[in-house]
Amino acid sequence: MKVELTVNGESRLTEVEPRKSLLDCLRDNFNLNGAHAGCEHGVCGACTVLVDGQPVRSCLMFAVQADGYAITTIEGLTPAPGELSVIQDAFCETHGMQCGYCTPAMVLTAHALLQRNAAPTREEIVESISGNICRCTGYGQIVEAIALAADRLSRANAPQGGAVR
Amino acid sequence: MTVQTKPPAPASATDDWAFAKFGIGQPVPRTEDPVLVQGQGRYTDDLQLPGQAHAVVVRSTHAHGVIRGIDTAAARAMPGVLGIYTAADLAAYGTLKCGVPLKNRDGSEMKKPLRPALAGDKVRFVGDPVAIVVAETLLQAKDAAEAVGVTIDPLPAVTLASAAAKPGAPQLFEDVPGNVALDYHYGDSEKVAAAFAQAAHVTKLSMRNTRLIVAAMEPRSAVGVYDKAREHWTLHSASQGVFGLKGQLVDILKAPPEKVRILTGHVGGSFGMKATVYPEYVGILHASRMLGRPVKWTDDRSGSFVSDHHGRDHEVTGELALDKDGHFLAVRLTSFANMGAFLATVGPLAGTLNAVKNVASVYRTPLLEVSAKCMFTNTTHVSAYRGAGRPEGNYYMERLIDAAATEMGLDRLALRRKNHIRPSQIPYSASSGMTYDSGDFPAIFKEAIDKADIKGFAARKRDSRKRGKLRGLGIGCYLEVTAPPNKEMGGIRFEPNGDVTIITGTLDYGQGHAAPFAQVLSAQLGIPFHRIRLLQGDSDELIAGGGTGGSRSITASGAAIVEASAKVIEQGKAIASHVLEASASDIEFDKGRFVIAGTDRAIGIMELAEKIRGGLQLPAGEPQSLDVKHASESVPSAFPNGCHVAEVEIDPDTGVVEVVTYSSVNDFGNLINPLLVEGQVHGGVLQGIGQALMENVCYDSDGQILSGSFMDYAMPRAHHAPPIGFVSHPVPAKTNPLGTKGCGEAGCAGALTSVMNAIVDALSVYGIRHIDMPASPARVWTAIQAAKQGAA
Ligand code: FES
Ligand code: FES
Repeated sequence: MKVELTVNGESRLTEVEPRKSLLDCLRDNFNLNGAHAGCEHGVCGACTVLVDGQPVRSCLMFAVQADGYAITTIEGLTPAPGELSVIQDAFCETHGMQCGYCTPAMVLTAHALLQRNAAPTREEIVESISGNICRCTGYGQIVEAIALAADRLSRANAPQGGAVR
Repeated sequence: MTVQTKPPAPASATDDWAFAKFGIGQPVPRTEDPVLVQGQGRYTDDLQLPGQAHAVVVRSTHAHGVIRGIDTAAARAMPGVLGIYTAADLAAYGTLKCGVPLKNRDGSEMKKPLRPALAGDKVRFVGDPVAIVVAETLLQAKDAAEAVGVTIDPLPAVTLASAAAKPGAPQLFEDVPGNVALDYHYGDSEKVAAAFAQAAHVTKLSMRNTRLIVAAMEPRSAVGVYDKAREHWTLHSASQGVFGLKGQLVDILKAPPEKVRILTGHVGGSFGMKATVYPEYVGILHASRMLGRPVKWTDDRSGSFVSDHHGRDHEVTGELALDKDGHFLAVRLTSFANMGAFLATVGPLAGTLNAVKNVASVYRTPLLEVSAKCMFTNTTHVSAYRGAGRPEGNYYMERLIDAAATEMGLDRLALRRKNHIRPSQIPYSASSGMTYDSGDFPAIFKEAIDKADIKGFAARKRDSRKRGKLRGLGIGCYLEVTAPPNKEMGGIRFEPNGDVTIITGTLDYGQGHAAPFAQVLSAQLGIPFHRIRLLQGDSDELIAGGGTGGSRSITASGAAIVEASAKVIEQGKAIASHVLEASASDIEFDKGRFVIAGTDRAIGIMELAEKIRGGLQLPAGEPQSLDVKHASESVPSAFPNGCHVAEVEIDPDTGVVEVVTYSSVNDFGNLINPLLVEGQVHGGVLQGIGQALMENVCYDSDGQILSGSFMDYAMPRAHHAPPIGFVSHPVPAKTNPLGTKGCGEAGCAGALTSVMNAIVDALSVYGIRHIDMPASPARVWTAIQAAKQGAA
């Protein structure tokens, strides 16, 4: 059947079987390969995308269910071609990834966290990514990346000459 | 988190800012990260080749049984189905092989039953592949796979290695009596027995080294392409080095080497698991040949739980003999190692040779004996998982030492100090047959004890008690013997666009080799870091390659790059002599420039490369380019070592264990890139904590896997990770040009040992002297209740 999905601000029409997951649709139909299949049963978080700004497991959502929502994938997070977001940049700086398979989902999850909580504690950062499995990094440098990004964003947003937390 | 490093002087010292920033020992961020962080990594499943068809594997749902029939008629008639292949279709190909050359204790050959890609007569584990279904779309292939009828007469199954050794146990292979693949023995039994007989004290522990799922986050995936016109096979697949994988595939396909090519893109983790040929690869390559189209197969997670090889799974009795003062006299391991239903490529290694090499660790242990029965069982095959016997060997020793200290009323720190090999004894010939070339174990131990503030532990313990928690502190010393020598390629190619490509046969599956290898090359040749690329995943480019594994990459590829650089310099001198109009013997290479000795006339290496690209005319007989294809002589094993200290808190009411502090001091020799080394330690430590606290593969009595998804198999998550202190205390290796030792597996070794020792320390208030991994809440709580009842 036909669905019309809004992905990264663009409206896209495509043909899917009703049983096709949003994850498979993004990957197969739109060639957006940044969302990864890690378990297909909603436990690892590797397939995370943002649906109306909230992290959602795209393996647990059918493509047809996503009609009418604004979907953001990792490909839509980069501010401009050749540029990285502050969060992406922080991940590179702190060595917040090894194989990179969990990384797009981690970055999107962090993005959603910092949207709703600009100054998270370490515990809050850990809590926010506790649904995302990373087998490589031991998480320490991911937590560090998110903390660094939060710090940078809050400085950037601080009023001129104003105090920084 | 503290990073303290003592960077060595760069191989080619220079004041240039760029060299300082990207030199050896600098924490240079990885060059692949901007790609990966944007979701632009190219993992195998991201490939969409024109005309590609999709494969799904039909697997046995029985752990053991005789195949009576495979009915594919209904499936063949389903929409989109292109072909269905069973064992008979693959009969012309070779079998998957075990490459471990060990012998039985009586000198006879070990048993290596042939493993065809698809099971034909019998199935031997849940997940054993019996057919491959190929269709136009993945969903069509899945539907058709469900319609394939496999009739199996079930047989009784056995899943535990020690149970498979019992009389009357189900037999997996007619020609393997008693299910014993290998009856391994190392050491002088008589001398060891005499040492035990004389000992003032003998400590004995039986220890279960849990079976684990490797669980790389990227499931295995492959695309097979057969080109009929060229009679040529291409396999796109994850790997840990394309050279070795190609060798295996050439053997199975019975094809000339030049007719087989392996291409590996980004790899989403592997930890030993994706190194070898798997049955699915043979199946899709055959399907591609039959159909004339590329065929892709990607595992789903349920599939990978049974189809990827598992790790560990040893049942071990460890014994340590000590004299009255606590000097170690001998250590003896007697074990069953579970091989699963087939021998994996390096399956028997962990429980045998690697146990031998690693158990004695940093301690003077004059005598050593290891007996291991490698057993077939009705389970997924078992092979290398992060450490492959190294963390296990260290774990047995560290547990024995703590137990011995408790039994003899000795201080566990003092007991370790007493037995440490001293720097004055190095080079040290260990009872494993290894010669340690370098190391300062007492100094590292002292630093680790200081860093962990062991003096403050009593106060922390009191504080925990006030909160109703038991606190324990554990020490884990480790020394690992990295993978044995292998030839490695060091290729250096000056590209038309001015970039310089390093070509090597190791392959990173997340470690990040591009930056550190570029740091090495930049230091050798003065090539700007940002112009250097890494090529690792194309077998057509390689003349040698040992691949990644056993913590060997920086040492092996590093040496290959250093040696290849020397050849570039030789060629460069010859070429520069024509440009500078001087004799080659008068030309020196200094900080990236070819200089006429004693003059200021010089040409930089990049400038020289540009001239060559521009068509510089060189006489015949002279090198025509700077390019080098070099295969290095092998570099000996290195001995990374260190000491980790963990503290845990246990809630006695629930049995929940939390690792609350963690610090480590490590000797990885010279560090090329401390940022990445720290990442390796973090990842290894958390995998170790995963094994210590939660990970466990369980089978029921029929051989069904009970922990077959991430719902049932616990994986460490962010809240299980304590902040990890990392300190580098380098004692450079003397056996390779960069003085590196390797760091990939050390975290596991430090964590299994320190965390389990900390747990037993905390539980010692109940008189508990050992608990097996995983120290899950249920197991800890049960142990506490049993101890309380025993005491009552
Ligand atoms: S793939 Fe969706 S949660 Fe794992
Ligand atoms: S970086 Fe490999 S799974 Fe996270």
